[in-house]
Amino acid sequence: MDHLDLDTIIAQITSSPNTRILNDFLKNIQPDTREVILASTLSSGQDPLNILDLRANSLGVLYILSARISVHGAVPPPWQVVDNFCQNFDQNQVRYAPERVILLGKNLSRLAAHYNNQIAAILPLRSLIQRFVPDPSCLTALHPQFLLLCVSSRRFADALPILTHPITSIDSTDMHYTDNLVYHYTGGIALAALKRWSAAEEFFDICVTAPGLVASAIQLEALKKMRLVQLIAKGKTEPLPKYALPNLTRLFKNTPYNTFANAYPSDVGTLRDIVKKDRQVFVTDKNVGLINQAIDRAPRWALKRLIGTYVTLNLTDIARQVKIDSVDHVREMLLNMIESNEISAQISANGTVTFSDPPPTITKTQVDALLRQVQVQSSLLTKLDLDVGKSREFLAKAVKLREDFGGGGGNTAEDFLLGSSMGAVVGGSGGEGGGVWVEEAGFTS
Amino acid sequence: MDVDLTDEQVAAAAQQQAKKPTIVPVDDAHPFDLESYISGYTGRTAIDRLIHIVKICPAAATDAFNLAVQHIHQSRDASLYQALMTEYEHLAENPVVKESYQLPNPLEIAQLDTKWVDEISAKNQSDKVKLEVELKTYTNNMIKESIRMAHRDLAEFYRSIGEYQQSLRHHTKSREFCATSQHVLDMCLSVLELLIEQRNYSHLSTYVFKAEAALDATAASAAGNGGASATAPASGAGPSTSGTGPNAKKRAPTEKEIVQSKLDLASALSHLGQGNHEKAAQSFLRIGGARELGDWVGKLVTQSDIAIYGTLCGLASMSRGAIKVQLLDNPAFGLYIEQEPYVRELLEAYINSNFKTALELLSRYSTRHYIDIHLSQHVHGLTSLIKNNAVVLYFQPFASIKLDRMSQAFGWTVDMVEEHIVNLIQSGEIHGRVDSQNKILYAKKTDYRGDLFARTIQAGNDILSANRKVLLRMRLQQADLIVKAPKGHPQSYGMVQDYYGE
Repeated sequence: MDHLDLDTIIAQITSSPNTRILNDFLKNIQPDTREVILASTLSSGQDPLNILDLRANSLGVLYILSARISVHGAVPPPWQVVDNFCQNFDQNQVRYAPERVILLGKNLSRLAAHYNNQIAAILPLRSLIQRFVPDPSCLTALHPQFLLLCVSSRRFADALPILTHPITSIDSTDMHYTDNLVYHYTGGIALAALKRWSAAEEFFDICVTAPGLVASAIQLEALKKMRLVQLIAKGKTEPLPKYALPNLTRLFKNTPYNTFANAYPSDVGTLRDIVKKDRQVFVTDKNVGLINQAIDRAPRWALKRLIGTYVTLNLTDIARQVKIDSVDHVREMLLNMIESNEISAQISANGTVTFSDPPPTITKTQVDALLRQVQVQSSLLTKLDLDVGKSREFLAKAVKLREDFGGGGGNTAEDFLLGSSMGAVVGGSGGEGGGVWVEEAGFTS
Repeated sequence: MDVDLTDEQVAAAAQQQAKKPTIVPVDDAHPFDLESYISGYTGRTAIDRLIHIVKICPAAATDAFNLAVQHIHQSRDASLYQALMTEYEHLAENPVVKESYQLPNPLEIAQLDTKWVDEISAKNQSDKVKLEVELKTYTNNMIKESIRMAHRDLAEFYRSIGEYQQSLRHHTKSREFCATSQHVLDMCLSVLELLIEQRNYSHLSTYVFKAEAALDATAASAAGNGGASATAPASGAGPSTSGTGPNAKKRAPTEKEIVQSKLDLASALSHLGQGNHEKAAQSFLRIGGARELGDWVGKLVTQSDIAIYGTLCGLASMSRGAIKVQLLDNPAFGLYIEQEPYVRELLEAYINSNFKTALELLSRYSTRHYIDIHLSQHVHGLTSLIKNNAVVLYFQPFASIKLDRMSQAFGWTVDMVEEHIVNLIQSGEIHGRVDSQNKILYAKKTDYRGDLFARTIQAGNDILSANRKVLLRMRLQQADLIVKAPKGHPQSYGMVQDYYGE
């Protein structure tokens, strides 16, 4: 293959019956020459993209597109073609070359910027991700790119179809640990901006509790935002799980956010004083918006406390107790809370508020839906358990352990190991998975 | 080190008292008889108590001042007069007191006999020199037992002239020269006495602990000698027969019982001083008969004091059943209660749910409680705890009740009742809700089935999300995507902007 040019490659692409062989062929070309050749035009001066069929020759188009988009000085591919490819490529072909997909995806926004339309990259990138991943709960290196793009161009709602699938697995092609952090951090920002507080909290939580030896700056930022989101959504903060880095908590304690969270939800005046004192920090961290939302909601938590204590209360009494000056504000807040189903209450003409406390109603469909989810997860965990059981590392350890015990343990050693390795993973699963794990934890002997 | 700590604590306690000078009245509604009260005490505690009375009770201040001067003449510490004067003047300057009381010039009430002052200081000086010379001689001769006794005598001497730090130092030093556990025990008891006098509550428990260890050691050695200890004449009086049985009253209490009772009192006072009411009550109730406290009755506390302390702590911290069994039907504690008839009335009113009477008794005798040096700081807290317990007990059987009925039962206004109840609901002691328009308190009705469903669903969702997170965490670890310290140039992601509308 001394005189390789684009014409030969195109001929290969169109004629090759087997995608795997084609991929191997393309992959084995000397990388630096390959990129240059792929980014060039045909000897006839024709654009190769016009010759190839986007669907039938997806792999070839992917190689050419990703080269054209990334090689310096190459003619950028027409936007129309890129867009079209992202919507229509053949998934089976493309999955042979995940690194090329990542390369294409990572440069997509640059291309869009080249055409002066940054936002245009969002939808193609999203469909690229959605069509590329084997299942929606898989994280790729493209996810953080996509989220950063959405967040920096304020298109939060566009990110939702991706964000609604919680991540449980990873495609580790070209992945860096920051990709996971950035994805969940920016995802949290997008969800918080859409006021989906509990989902946002979960995203920040994943970022904060990501495994690590040291705390990352992204994690600290995520923790700050998570605390504010918790205050907005629940009125209080919750302790971090045990596996979170202790150092992170220590770092957080030294920030004004800690003071703010501790003072919450005392009266608005105190909170404003805290914010005033450290305003610069909040401004630098770009968290003023969240802080203000938290302060605005502070009286609601005070009001909720009152509901636990009183059945009826006058509007003026409420105003006095939650420290709001005007009765109208209280009325407005109450109506707002009633409308959003946070409380159930009635306001009579003379200003008396009657709180009622309807028992939680749970429908059969709710229970069924939850049960289904639990079953799905259970079977997933069982499968995972079996996978671990037959994995090379596990078997090696199990055999070693058995040797150490002089074979006396028999099955017990294996079961014990299984129990201990899996027990950590399903540690909190008491409810649905518990029975299975206890049995397998090796109390059989 | 010990001495420094003590200093600070005393200073802190003094500051705390200075912050809120309580003034208590003595009138028909709050009867208090100074003469009969103080006659129960002897020695230094009488003077301390009189000074305390001067400090907070203007109506009795004049008499107390007079009595205190008399008592000081019998002591060896002329500096007490200075303390007395300071408190008196402090009281006289209080604007509230100035308005309603006419306090005569202290010098007109009673003055210190200057001749006595000179004599006593000369005597103190010579005694001090004499004792120190003795200590020096014994130290030179290296006779262990004599050194210990010299230290002990010096400690006693310093205590009598009011130099607590010196006293404590000599007691502590004498420890090095203790040959038997009996000596250690004696030392601990002296220190305890000293600390109680000084009202150093946080320190007490250390010495109670030490004394208990020494007590066990003495008991063991006494048993080894075939029970032929000189101080335990009753044969077969092992530790198994405690001093509370009816048989125990017929014979003299054993050494162990005496010591144990003293230790119980000391730890009770220590718990009380630190606001640990429940433990204090338990310890007060463990104290054996009054005879076993020996010279501590009068020197430190009186029997009525024990009755009052124990009852108030018990009412504030124990359940109704426990109060009945441990306070009312307790023969040993009953003897103490006999000393103060109103305490029994109080207990019976409380047990019979006659809360109005109970609360009236509490307020009627509040002066008596406030002028007590050990109780004074806790009266307010104890009273409100007792009130809270009473409210909780009263509401227990009701599903709903009108607040004005409660106000009748407690002798409060409706607003007071409401305020109380709201506080109790918010602290979680009453499960109920207030209808503030119609002034009715409703007990909370829980739909257990619905509640269970809600909690289960919540738990299910929590576990689902926890599992997902842990699964991802495992995957990340498998792929080695863990946060590491940056090498050289950390990859920086730009700070994202603030996307939340202000």
